[in-house]
Amino acid sequence: MRDFDYLMPETVGEVSGLLARLGDDCRMIAGGTALLLALRQRMVTPTHLVSLARVRGLRGITYDPRDGLRIGALTTHAAVARSPLVRQRYPVLADMASRLANPQVRNQGTLGGNLCYADPTTDPPTCLAALEAMLVLGSARGYRYLPVTDFLVDYYASALEPDEVLTEIRIPAPRFDFGYHARFHRTAAEHRPLINLALLARRDGDVVGEARLVVGATTVVPTRVAAAEAVLAGRRVTAALAREAADIVAEAIDPVSDIRGGSAFRRDMVRVVARRTIERLVEQDSEGRIVA
Amino acid sequence: MSRVTIEVVVNGQPHRAEIPARRLLADFIRDDLFLTGTKRGCETGVCGACSVLLDGEVVKSCLSLAVQAEGHEITTVEGITSGGELHPLQASFAEHGGFQCGYCTPGMLMAAIAILNESPSPTEAEVRAGLSGNLCRCTGYVGIVESIMAAAEKMRGT
Amino acid sequence: MTMTTQARLDGDASTIGRPTPQVNAQEKLTGRALYGGDFRTPGMLHLKVLRSPYAHARIISIDTAAASALPGVHAVLTGDDTPDRLTGVHRKQHRILATSKVRFVGEEVVAVAAIDEDTARDALDLVRVEYEPLPLVHNMDEALSPGTIEVHESTGNLSIEYKVERGDVDSAFARAALVHEATYETTSQYPGYLEPMATVAWVEGDGRLVVRASTQTAFLQRNRFAEALGLPVSAVRVIQSTVGGAFGGKTVEECNSLICAWMAYRLGRPVRFVNSRLDDFLGARSSPAERIWLKMGVDNQGLIIAKEVKILADCGAYEGLATHVLQVSLVRSDNMHRYLKDVRLHGRLAFTNHPPRGAVRGFGGPQAAFALNSHMAELAEKLGIDPVEFMRRNAVRAGDTTVHGFELGSAGLTECLDQVSEGIGWITKKARRPDTGLKRRGIGFAGAIHVSGNREMGNWDGSIVTARMTTDGRVTLSTGESDMGQGAYTMLAQCCASELAIPVSHVTVLPTDTDVSPYGHGSIASRVTILAGNAAIRAGREIRGRLLALASETLGVPEGDLTVSGGEIFATSALPNRRLTFGELARMHIYRHGGEELRVTATYDPPTFLAMSRPDQYGNVAPGYSFAAQAVEVEVDTETGQVEILETFVSDDCGKAINPLAVHGQTCGAAAMSIGWALYEEMKFQDCQLLNGNFADYTMPTAESLPNIQSGIIESLEPNGPYGAKGASETAMLPGAAAIANAVYDAVGVRIRELPITPEKILAGLREQEATAAARERRHA
Repeated sequence: MRDFDYLMPETVGEVSGLLARLGDDCRMIAGGTALLLALRQRMVTPTHLVSLARVRGLRGITYDPRDGLRIGALTTHAAVARSPLVRQRYPVLADMASRLANPQVRNQGTLGGNLCYADPTTDPPTCLAALEAMLVLGSARGYRYLPVTDFLVDYYASALEPDEVLTEIRIPAPRFDFGYHARFHRTAAEHRPLINLALLARRDGDVVGEARLVVGATTVVPTRVAAAEAVLAGRRVTAALAREAADIVAEAIDPVSDIRGGSAFRRDMVRVVARRTIERLVEQDSEGRIVA
Repeated sequence: MSRVTIEVVVNGQPHRAEIPARRLLADFIRDDLFLTGTKRGCETGVCGACSVLLDGEVVKSCLSLAVQAEGHEITTVEGITSGGELHPLQASFAEHGGFQCGYCTPGMLMAAIAILNESPSPTEAEVRAGLSGNLCRCTGYVGIVESIMAAAEKMRGT
Repeated sequence: MTMTTQARLDGDASTIGRPTPQVNAQEKLTGRALYGGDFRTPGMLHLKVLRSPYAHARIISIDTAAASALPGVHAVLTGDDTPDRLTGVHRKQHRILATSKVRFVGEEVVAVAAIDEDTARDALDLVRVEYEPLPLVHNMDEALSPGTIEVHESTGNLSIEYKVERGDVDSAFARAALVHEATYETTSQYPGYLEPMATVAWVEGDGRLVVRASTQTAFLQRNRFAEALGLPVSAVRVIQSTVGGAFGGKTVEECNSLICAWMAYRLGRPVRFVNSRLDDFLGARSSPAERIWLKMGVDNQGLIIAKEVKILADCGAYEGLATHVLQVSLVRSDNMHRYLKDVRLHGRLAFTNHPPRGAVRGFGGPQAAFALNSHMAELAEKLGIDPVEFMRRNAVRAGDTTVHGFELGSAGLTECLDQVSEGIGWITKKARRPDTGLKRRGIGFAGAIHVSGNREMGNWDGSIVTARMTTDGRVTLSTGESDMGQGAYTMLAQCCASELAIPVSHVTVLPTDTDVSPYGHGSIASRVTILAGNAAIRAGREIRGRLLALASETLGVPEGDLTVSGGEIFATSALPNRRLTFGELARMHIYRHGGEELRVTATYDPPTFLAMSRPDQYGNVAPGYSFAAQAVEVEVDTETGQVEILETFVSDDCGKAINPLAVHGQTCGAAAMSIGWALYEEMKFQDCQLLNGNFADYTMPTAESLPNIQSGIIESLEPNGPYGAKGASETAMLPGAAAIANAVYDAVGVRIRELPITPEKILAGLREQEATAAARERRHA
């Protein structure tokens, strides 16, 4: 790691002022799990680190039926996983957070830090995109609101302006009765998901009312597949429907290709993960096949 | 060089230190406090040999700056014995082949404490999931899992 | 010669055969053990090296001025500053830092010593090296093609070539009822010890160099440092730190210790060099990748009667122990076949611009075992016999002299096969109707042979143990062999304690210090139990003999009427007060005219033969041969190509488990490492550059990615072994990969002959199957 100054402002306005003044030489640090890796490998060499640890108003999880869930950006993954509010109302989010990475990273890493780092091979972006999360971005200029899908713009790139801080993640009141965040590793020993896929749905028996389907980790940003959602809407879930929708998903996405997996392989696996996740909407036998 | 002053409690003992801002928590523990039980095994936050408890929760001290620990309580492997007695997990690791070379062991013990804090009667699958942030090349994890299961039983007093 | 002496021991004192916690448990479990990078001395500097970003390039210039000027930097040294003599295990071709050209990505070019690691690292960023890239030798095929640029001049890129032929191979193949040939490929495996290599070195006031290093082979390291630095051996002292795993990677090939020793000697100041994990991936010796062509002939009884092996192996950029590794891959596995007399072997080792390859656990055995066991499963299928039965029918037995001259005093291969079959439920699972769903189960198995000791480094494969009894009646053992976590010290303490009928806790085993420990080759070739174990028994007996003699003289009781028990010697009959404690005897041993400390040195050099001295490699190289077998049940997901190991059972014929806790630990660890090699680990190179030199991308097995490995012990009681014991650290590394490949084939009919067994390869195999089936259907339609 190169040498840097460590600054500990206490308000969003102060942070914003520092960021504006120091520009590219400066990085924010929340939990630090991702930033430390980059610093130690000297991939980034800031002269200043701005700690968010003392900034007021970046913590806590609250819920009200009108505005939904509000998660302070400094909330750790473990805190999200443990929160009774999240577990009750957004079990898919609690479940995703409880299985993310490993226990240490869950205790250290923050939801806000994860989003700002915009590492595509992690789980929260995909899940939050399916939940239609809205991000609150603060600066000395005030606050603005951005859907998470607009916030994540590219590989390791977000829409955060140079003087902005992600302060809060908001999730609308739940309107789905099914949620599943699938995490697919190429082999059991790999640490990062090759693919993840979040599916939310409202069901009436085995008929899908409305669905949200987002694929991530294998695309540079989470990709919502509206065509697949449309195919599912109003249909009875059968093996044939699952296959039909999975084919749409596999064709709709634009998978990356790297040493962890070629794009053709990734596309094939997205097809499998999509079909298996959709089949979860209804009862399955021990092999994962739809009963009836 | 940019320096910061931090106050932390390590293994029950308060410390105040002036350190370079870029000092890793792992290096602070090892080089400034001479607690070399905490190991460094990789730069990618994968191996878990540097695991310590921060306010009772297991974290990787190589993924944190020392300054981030300001105001917090840290427990390292040196701090888990009490009155010269091995922690039940340490005793169990000896008895059940929970270590060989011993390099991953301090981190494994920290992860194991976290597992048992979370669930005093963990299943084997829960133990394995709880070790997902720690690598061992020696044991194939068989002895480690057995050690933790056996210690859990002992600590439950059954 | 049998050394089974338990009958002579008293009551419950002996721990031989009982699960015994490691003697260094306390220090390791409390974080007090000092590993390579935990140690420091006053005034110590920190070393970092700049590595070549090119796989093959000429060094045009190096500008160190800016780095040298950085505050806190003490030295910025280059190849020109290193001694100009070349060193190496056999072929002398390596200089401490590269000069004139670099031959692999990661080769050490510049070394910096500074007041702390961060400053040293800052200095590296300021060094400017200008390179002129050269054409690459991408792989071993290219290496040996005419006209390819040479990695080392006048070598033709051929490091070594072996040709061995016994019997009449062609007529044996002509006699065979069935002949099968196929080619198998293996990939490099990184040893993956959790402690990256670390060294502290300094110069004493008398000018002698002291190197405290994480090493398996302290004495061989001393010899190497002396050679490289042009010092007399007596001017170098190597002290072994606690070793955080080694697996073959911490012998005489890694360069961390050498560079650190040189820098400290040159500066006259203490220097510490701790590898980062990336340093370690680039600087460590991973196992050689091999392409193995096998042809085997079987008679109508299912007996293997002819075998031909051709191996092409990738040495990487410098020759170290890879020549021995290839010899092992070529020769050793033939010795499993009882009826094989006619065999032809051809092995070539090629220089490439890959990082240098060398010793990793199993030492060539895993590569050969993968090919052989895959091949035997294919043969068994063609023969229409059960593969376990096929191997059992051909299995060597105790008393056999094998095709290459191994004299088997014990051989538990058949028993290993029986145990793993029973353990996994082979017959029941084999009889099961094949799964036809998306996920299909399959079973597979493999067997292997390994040495315990190996006469290969000059005509001595001995081990020396020095035992001292302190005046409190306790014993201190010194050895040149290393404990890297495998439990060697515990084993030595058990052997000695057993002979003296004292608790294991009364024996302390000291880490090797070349100034005071007896000479030893160190912990390689699974040699420590059989060699040092015997020496420890001899040392214990010698002490016991001296104690008895002194007690007899002092008490006036014939030795035959004395009993040794509980750290005391007393008259067996009726005279309860006539007893002496070991402490009293140890004091008497000194405090008398002509007295001396009770100190003995015992050596065991086995009756083996230096086969490597003969071109045909024939001879009994080891005092004992270990065997192992492994059975695996997998479930293959036919849509994702993923392999899950549902169950696995590994048996290790270790002769006698002196410490079953340690043997099970070694067996499970070795099996895990082989599962990693087979399914999860792959060093990925592009133009000879390693792309995944970190634990996030080079994925070793995690707790969640492994089944609960079951291990069993076969005690074949080796006549040469201490209490019948043989080595148990490597053999179980051998069968895993083929067992998994065979199980995958059983599950889905896809034969993977190239490691690792990846989802992509399995899916490709399944697609090929579908295409073939479809074509067949079209033909029939």
